Amino acid sequence: MSKKPMILILAAAAVLLFLLPAFSQEDIKQLADPAFGQAQRPAAVFDHDAHNEKAAIDGCLPCHHQGVEEGRFVEGDPVKCADCHEVKTAEGTPLMLAYHKQCEDCHLEKKKGPVTCGECHKRP
Amino acid sequence: MVEIYNFVVGPLAWVGWGIFVVGIIYKLIYMYSLARAKDYSSLDYMSLPFSLRSIFVWSIPFYATNWKRNPAMTVATFLFHICLIAVPVFLLAHVVLWQKFFGITWATLPDQAADYMTLAVIAACVFFGVRRATDLRARYVTSYKDWLILILVASPFVTGFLAYHQIFNYKFMIILHIVSGLAWLALIPFTRLSHMFLGLFTRAYAGSEFGKVRHVKDW
Ligand code: HEC
Ligand code: HEC
Ligand code: HEC
Ligand code: HEC
Repeated sequence: MSKKPMILILAAAAVLLFLLPAFSQEDIKQLADPAFGQAQRPAAVFDHDAHNEKAAIDGCLPCHHQGVEEGRFVEGDPVKCADCHEVKTAEGTPLMLAYHKQCEDCHLEKKKGPVTCGECHKRP
Repeated sequence: MVEIYNFVVGPLAWVGWGIFVVGIIYKLIYMYSLARAKDYSSLDYMSLPFSLRSIFVWSIPFYATNWKRNPAMTVATFLFHICLIAVPVFLLAHVVLWQKFFGITWATLPDQAADYMTLAVIAACVFFGVRRATDLRARYVTSYKDWLILILVASPFVTGFLAYHQIFNYKFMIILHIVSGLAWLALIPFTRLSHMFLGLFTRAYAGSEFGKVRHVKDW
């Protein structure tokens, strides 16, 4: 038996292994951003994929963007919010407000989903 | 839940804050015109330095003779008033809402500290209640209104504490907390709680009379 299929399988496995982190949102069950340092509140419940399926959100834009043009988000790569939003900043949207605005504004608009502190920051 | 929440932080909040602000202004004007009508000369004797002196001196624990009479009561009174004001104003969760609704922020207390200060307010309320029930002189001047006020003052702190710790039904508790807090605000001008503002003027009046007219200390 030639070694070729074996190498191919190993290569495929390696590719998958590298690809996996790209789908890491499947693992997101809650949000506790380390950028805040010592957290004041329990992690926010947010099962990434289940949430978006249940809320019937198609696409990634309502959340992942790279900026705002004419009052609308411009689509961006799904990277960490803290990459662009600082915890303390005089200009632009600070990190905590960015999270709260994004999450709550949609819930208020759809009249569905959590809007008070303890509904998101649930104690275990 | 979203509808109820929208209502209590929307229209109901505007009504609560509106009554509070308009009520305080009305009360101050009313007291001023009453003083003018009844005791016109006293207004001439009002003095800013003596007023401020009296307010300042009475703000120091255990300085005025009255603060030395009952140490436990003095400690409870100071602790109670400081926490009563500082917790709602500097609570992180409240500032988060100011930021979200009006885009303004200021310094906040760590949640842990605010938690202990809330307990201090509740403990002080219990202390005042026990005193009203047991101290003969206090009991004599206590009416059912005093009990209602004590419950009114304590309720936003009790519900806030339970909501923060998510004890009992959280959604019910947080709505109850917002409603009781707004009721608290709206009732300030029309109950003894108005001493929050009028007390300064009472002190200023006493300070002026004793300082400028009688040339003696008022503490
Ligand atoms: C309801 C809002 C929302 C939607 C819709 C959404 N995401 Fe996310 N996603 C988030 C949040 C919040 C995070 C956490 C960001 C952080 O940790 O800073 C996240 C994290 C991620 C991450 C991990 C990023 C990292 O570097 O840690 C990936 C990958 C991701 N999302 C992909 C997607 C894709 C692909 C879609 C569209 C199919 C999508 N998301 C739709 C809110 C959303
Ligand atoms: C690649 C950079 C980048 C990333 C990553 C990013 N943002 Fe933004 N975001 C911006 C810019 C730029 C603006 C516009 C300026 C501002 O308000 O800070 C903005 C604005 C916002 C606003 C205000 C929108 C408005 O209309 O006022 C919210 C809310 C927000 N971002 C939330 C988030 C959340 C939540 C995440 C993570 C899921 C995130 N952002 C990730 C760049 C980014
Ligand atoms: C674009 C709209 C939208 C955005 C943005 C959004 N949500 Fe939601 N969310 C919804 C909707 C719609 C529901 C209600 C789903 C249902 O029960 O049918 C929901 C429900 C939820 C629930 C309850 C889930 C359940 O199982 O009942 C949680 C928790 C939640 N959202 C957290 C978040 C967090 C945290 C964020 C910000 C990172 C966020 N959401 C951003 C639309 C949104
Ligand atoms: C719709 C969901 C949602 C609601 C409602 C909500 N938050 Fe958050 N909050 C988040 C998310 C998501 C983050 C970012 C992830 C994290 O670090 O917890 C966050 C972050 C925070 C942080 C910074 C991290 C920390 O723990 O120190 C604080 C403080 C906070 N929220 C307080 C509050 C308070 C107070 C309220 C109520 C006035 C509230 N939140 C309401 C979703 C929510």
